[in-house]
Formats: sequence, C-alpha cells, structure tokens
Amino acid sequence: MEKTIIIQRYNPEQDQAPSAKRYQVPFDHSTSVLDALLYIQQQLDPTLAFRWSCRMAICGSCGVMVNKIPKLGCKTFLRDYPAELTISALDHFPIEKDLISDMAVFLDHLQAVKPYLINDSQNTEPHRQTPAQLKKYQKFSSCINCGLCYAACPQFGLNPEFLGPAAIVTAQRYNLDSRDQGKAQRMPQLNGKNGVWACTFVGFCADVCPKQLDPAAAVNQGKVASATDMLISIFKP
Amino acid sequence: MPDSAGARRPYLQPLSRSWWLKHSFFLRYMLREATVLPLLFFCGCLLAGLYSLSQGESQYQSWLAFMAQPWVIALNALVLLASLYHAKTFFELFPRVMPLLPAPLMIAGQWLGTLLVALFLLWLFGAIG
Ligand code: SF4
Ligand code: FES
Repeated sequence: MEKTIIIQRYNPEQDQAPSAKRYQVPFDHSTSVLDALLYIQQQLDPTLAFRWSCRMAICGSCGVMVNKIPKLGCKTFLRDYPAELTISALDHFPIEKDLISDMAVFLDHLQAVKPYLINDSQNTEPHRQTPAQLKKYQKFSSCINCGLCYAACPQFGLNPEFLGPAAIVTAQRYNLDSRDQGKAQRMPQLNGKNGVWACTFVGFCADVCPKQLDPAAAVNQGKVASATDMLISIFKP
Repeated sequence: MPDSAGARRPYLQPLSRSWWLKHSFFLRYMLREATVLPLLFFCGCLLAGLYSLSQGESQYQSWLAFMAQPWVIALNALVLLASLYHAKTFFELFPRVMPLLPAPLMIAGQWLGTLLVALFLLWLFGAIG
C-alpha cells in the first residue's frame, strides 16, 4: 500500500519560494508522518531537510503542517489520511529549508516571560507543596515547546510580537506555582499590548496542542490575572 | 557563500488576507465575530425607538409601524439567531477561562440563567402571565 506525500520544498540557495514535490511512500498501520519523511530522505531524496529527535512526542522538534493543520510528525499517522497528503513547514515562522523553521521568535518570547522559578528566599529547606498547590499549575506544566500553537494562531501570524500561546501558558505555569515569587516581574509582559490582550480567543491553539494544554484557556485566565493586577496597581497607594 | 550567516536566506511566509478561509475552524471563529454586525442593526432600532418616544406619540406610532415591516422582522430574527449563536460560543468558552465547576454544568447553568432572565423580561413587559 502506498500514499502520495506532497512536500513543500524550499532550498534557500536556489529557490525564490517553496514549491511542491510528490513522493510515493509505502505505509502500514503504524507509519507516522515522520517515518514517511525518513523513508523519503533515506530511499528517494537525501536532500530533504526536516527536524526530529525523540520519535515519541516529547522533544517537540518535528512540528509540520499536515494538510494545513499543525501536527507533530511522530504523532500523526498516514492511516488517518486519504490517498494524498500535503506537508509543509509550520505556518507563521520563516522557513530555513524545506520543513525546517526558524523558531527564534518563539524562543525569544518564551525567554521574555522568565520561564523558571524565581525565589529570593535564603531558605535552604525544601519547598514543600501540597497536592492542591501542585494541581494549580500542573496542567500548564507539560508544554514541550513544539510551537504548534504559534503555527495555529492567526494573531501571531499577523503580529509576530505577540507573546503567543506557549509563552503565556508558561508564564501562568510559574505564576501559579506556590514556590515562585516572580509574578511581579512577569506581569508587565503579560499586561503589555503584545501580552494576553492581543488574544481574541480564536482557540485553535487548544485544538492543535499535542499535550492538550488548552493554551487558549491559559491565555484568557491570564486576562483575568492581568485585569486584577492592573486594578490592584490602580488602587494601591 | 563562505560564511554561514551570509548563506542563510529564510523564506518569510506571507499571511494572506483570506487566512480565515483556510479551514472550517477559522470560518467558525469569523462567524462568531461577525455576529456583532446584525446586533448593530438591532441596537440602531432600539435607539430610534427611544428617540421616537421622546418626540411624541405620532413619532412612536410610526416607529412601531417601521418595526412591524416584514423585512425588519426578518432582520431582527437574524439578530436573534446570531446572538444565540454568539451566546453558545461564549457559554462554551467561559468554563475554560473560569473553571469553577465541571464545564457541562456551567454551560447548562448559563443557559438556564438566560432563560430565566428572558422569562422575567417577557413577564415584565406583559407578554406572558
Ligand atoms: S502549548 Fe502545546 S502546542 Fe504550544 S508549544 Fe506547548 S505543547 Fe506545543
Ligand atoms: S520527534 Fe520528538 S516530538 Fe516528534
């Protein structure tokens, strides 16, 4: 059994824009999109460029558009698609080559929200956390930084300065952590015009997130936090 | 080119004006946002009604006649449908932003609230009971 894979190829040394190339790929029940790409690279065309590492949806490096929807190549299977499928580099990011995107903007935005525990206390005791405290941020802590949500977000497409779903999820993840004291440092980013308020709750990020994080909900919970924060700062003497 | 920085030539993907036609998810989003357009018409009607009230009885009567025209009724029926659709999307999003109770419960609660308020208003204006 074979399927036709159409790949948007781009070679920065020769092409002005990406163009489609077709490949015939054998598949069975367990063939993932990543397997198909590896088959093409190893058997048909060694010049095909793409990223991957873990093959098990944890490193977040194999994101591509499959039929215009952002997907992890290793978590997407040929069996679920009709006889032809189209693969291209993630939307909204510059394309370095073929399926490889330049994720620098995304990483900058992540860094901007200080995605680490900030705690000045000199206390060397372990920071105990109750299950209830853990539960507050746990659901936002499984982001694998794959960037699929950025490829799904039209607001990020229109304005690359927008912090974007994963960065805001991550900010929430640390703000809600009882061991963290960095909220005051993160709020200016979230309150700013490229923070939570740039989100119009399109909600597609929640559909594409391979870790079911619901970034859209996190962003809009961020709006509640942002509004509270602003109100408090207005009334604080 | 010898230096690796100079060899880079990333392709910037243009975002077309018609990005929202790309799949049904974005279409539904645009539909949700577009529900505000018919609502504008209804607000206009309401304001005109208030204004006509201040202008005396004959003005008010002619506003009533305007509101009774089939095309106005049809447009306002569209407003109602659009608002109900917007309410549906809003009620479904709300539990995700404020997860206080299980989502289906919150959605049902919001619809119940809407129904009660609607019934109260209908009663207030003498349409029922
Ligand atoms: S929030 Fe989800 S889609 Fe976005 S980077 Fe994290 S894991 Fe990927
Ligand atoms: S290869 Fe690691 S997430 Fe797909």
